[in-house]
Amino acid sequence: MTSIAIPRPAYAERPWILDWLMTVDHKKLGILYLYTTMFFFAVGGILALLVRTQLAVADNTFVNNDAYNQIFTMHASAMLFLFIIPVWAGFGNYIVPLQIGAADMAFPRINALSFWLIPPAGLLMFSGFLFGGAADAGWTAYSPLARGSGVGLDLWIISVIILGVSSTIGAANFMVTMFRMRAPGMTMFRMPIFCWTMLVTAVLQLLATPVLASALAMLYIDRNFGGSFFDPNGGGNAILWQNIFWFYSHPAVYIMILPGMGIISEVLPVFARKPLFGYKAFVFATMGIGGLGFSVWAHHMFTTGAVLKPWFGFMTFMIGVPTGVKMFNWLGTLWRGSITFEAPMLFALGFLSMFLIGGINGTFSAAVPVDFAIHDTYFVVAHIHYVLFGGAVFAVFAGLYYWFPKIWGRRLDERLARIHFALQFIGFNLAFFPMHLLGLDGMPRRIATYSESSGWETLNLISTIGAFLIGVAMIPFIINVVMAFLRPKDQPNDPWEANTLEWWTTSPPPVHNFDSLPEVHSERPLWDLRHGKTAH
Amino acid sequence: MPSTGKLRVIRRVNLLISAALLAIATISPAFAGWGMPDPITDQAKRIQDLWVFTLIIALAVFFAVEGALLYAIIRYRKRGDELPKQTHGSTALEIVWTSIPVLIVIALFSYSFIVLRDVEKKAPEDALSVDVTGFQFSWEFVYSLNDLGTNTDPNADGQISIIGTAAQEPTLVIPVGEPVEFRLKSNDVIHAFYVPNFHYKLDVVPGRDNRFVITANETGEFTGSVRSCAG
Ligand code: HEM
Ligand SMILES: [Cu+2]
Repeated sequence: MTSIAIPRPAYAERPWILDWLMTVDHKKLGILYLYTTMFFFAVGGILALLVRTQLAVADNTFVNNDAYNQIFTMHASAMLFLFIIPVWAGFGNYIVPLQIGAADMAFPRINALSFWLIPPAGLLMFSGFLFGGAADAGWTAYSPLARGSGVGLDLWIISVIILGVSSTIGAANFMVTMFRMRAPGMTMFRMPIFCWTMLVTAVLQLLATPVLASALAMLYIDRNFGGSFFDPNGGGNAILWQNIFWFYSHPAVYIMILPGMGIISEVLPVFARKPLFGYKAFVFATMGIGGLGFSVWAHHMFTTGAVLKPWFGFMTFMIGVPTGVKMFNWLGTLWRGSITFEAPMLFALGFLSMFLIGGINGTFSAAVPVDFAIHDTYFVVAHIHYVLFGGAVFAVFAGLYYWFPKIWGRRLDERLARIHFALQFIGFNLAFFPMHLLGLDGMPRRIATYSESSGWETLNLISTIGAFLIGVAMIPFIINVVMAFLRPKDQPNDPWEANTLEWWTTSPPPVHNFDSLPEVHSERPLWDLRHGKTAH
Repeated sequence: MPSTGKLRVIRRVNLLISAALLAIATISPAFAGWGMPDPITDQAKRIQDLWVFTLIIALAVFFAVEGALLYAIIRYRKRGDELPKQTHGSTALEIVWTSIPVLIVIALFSYSFIVLRDVEKKAPEDALSVDVTGFQFSWEFVYSLNDLGTNTDPNADGQISIIGTAAQEPTLVIPVGEPVEFRLKSNDVIHAFYVPNFHYKLDVVPGRDNRFVITANETGEFTGSVRSCAG
């Protein structure tokens, strides 16, 4: 047995509120992460509804141009930097130590720091609204344009740097945890697939996030100390920002989706009652996506005329290969299985069907001449939402329904979950499918309004109706959670008959996680216990 | 009885497919240009061909994978307590389904490479050229009448300048059937020069000499757009 010194929180001594504020327990921090990020999901969602309200009809004057720029910028920034990236750290915090049979993360205090950087950074970013206007240059803050925008952008820069620090130290923590603290018998290739995706994500964060920080620092210097990194009139380069920004932000797309793929790969085997088809192929495909992710950044820059188009087009197509391998492995997992459709599985299947579209409509941008037509139009907005909403957000809900019994000791109601799923699935497609057609017809993204003569009104109205349907879909979810909290904790250790170690301990687990650990002989230790090692 | 189960599944899948076909038939008039606006240049035609080619492959992949997914969901739902066979994977299958996307990638890349080369062909020496300057929030077009051969006053330098304002977009008239080169300049931020019917856009980057060539093949009035926060 290995033993690791971990500062144990002195419980029962502190009042409830101090206990949460001062905790270094990965489970409590994980819960804090989840609450905080779901809060920003709601904020980002409300901003999205403002965007859609403005675009519902032609020549709308619901908000003016300046306000619109702030709203869509903050929508995207909140969704990416304050919701989807840290929400995986939230799941990872709670689940990774449990899945590898550890008592906590490797560095509990650094873990607490990672979390506590997020709320102030979020407030800072949004405080722009109080100081003459929030950031308004898009989440991409393209320079030279962004050199000239208001003070809200400075707050945004500082906030994003702080969030970057949070995820960088968090990444180091996850890596050390998974390398050093796995249960006896758990080799790397017996580690649950969610852990693997968190590990690759952590590597990407460690390599990419500092690059973003450097770009942000340069932009801050340009704006405040007379620098001219991005100003050709002062000897700088107008394309430099895009190169550095996308060198971070393309890998960041995988930071936003890989852990979601991990969750899906936990859920499918449990509810199809089969192991993940091609576990090793899946791990290598994840690494492949991570590696290729660093060689495609300029596919965002084909229309600058400043990049080697065939190379970046080719590499972008190539990412389709490991992604395709994953898709086939997921299908292989379902094939000849014995499938049931509890809530986590519904959202996992929603992920498979919608993320597929996000993968397919992305390849159009890899065909460089087609990208000339669709770049910077609503086609791209459709693409990112099929990936980030149809993919990542469906995975977030799969994870929430799946681990809710473990984290909070209660099970969410299946009927309400089905209503939630149906509304979200329909609303999502209504909101985002029409955007393909709008983009092809030339509707540029990031415009505050469009004229009636454009002929874009009907599709935009449909999209807005879909967006509000997504909003409505959250009502049964919230009711479900509130009702669950009103019930006593009643969940057994392993309500789903699952495979991995988090289901070995109680729901919720004790402070120290495990009183004992089973032997680990495969990536499904609990399955082995239930059915015997021979049932492989 | 498993065979009736299978039949029922097949009937259901058939039903789904016919519903999908019906839906496509109803909305297809909206897809006259396969979703794209009318191509008005030779280059745009080529890009539209590539779009259609890519779309057909995309739809094939879409229907194949979603079909397999639906089939699995219906066919392999839980029927009893018996455990399914625990298959962990298959190297042969992994090789097969790594090769399929590789082949698709090669096809898509080759065709887009050819189209890219063609639409980016340089202008002939004597081509008409238009200098375009982007500013916030409109355009200036400058071209020479000498190039057009319509300069009636030999003393004038024949430079024509058309400046737009934020409220009044500038109108540029170009000849049909001959190549026209656009040279893009910006002195402030990055703009993008975009005419949807060209199926083409190119950024106007301060400090860069970006050019593109089109050969118009249709007359008419087409609107372009000014983009100052390209991203
Ligand atoms: C109710 C759900 C949502 C709706 C209705 C919605 C709607 C929109 C719309 C209409 C835009 C385009 C704004 C413009 O270009 O003028 C947009 C942009 C964006 N959204 Fe969402 N969104 C939703 C959820 C999400 C989620 C969950 C994410 C990420 C996790 C996300 C990420 C983004 C990003 C990154 C952009 C910026 C695209 C760009 O760079 O132009 N959205 N959203
Ligand atoms: Cu990218």
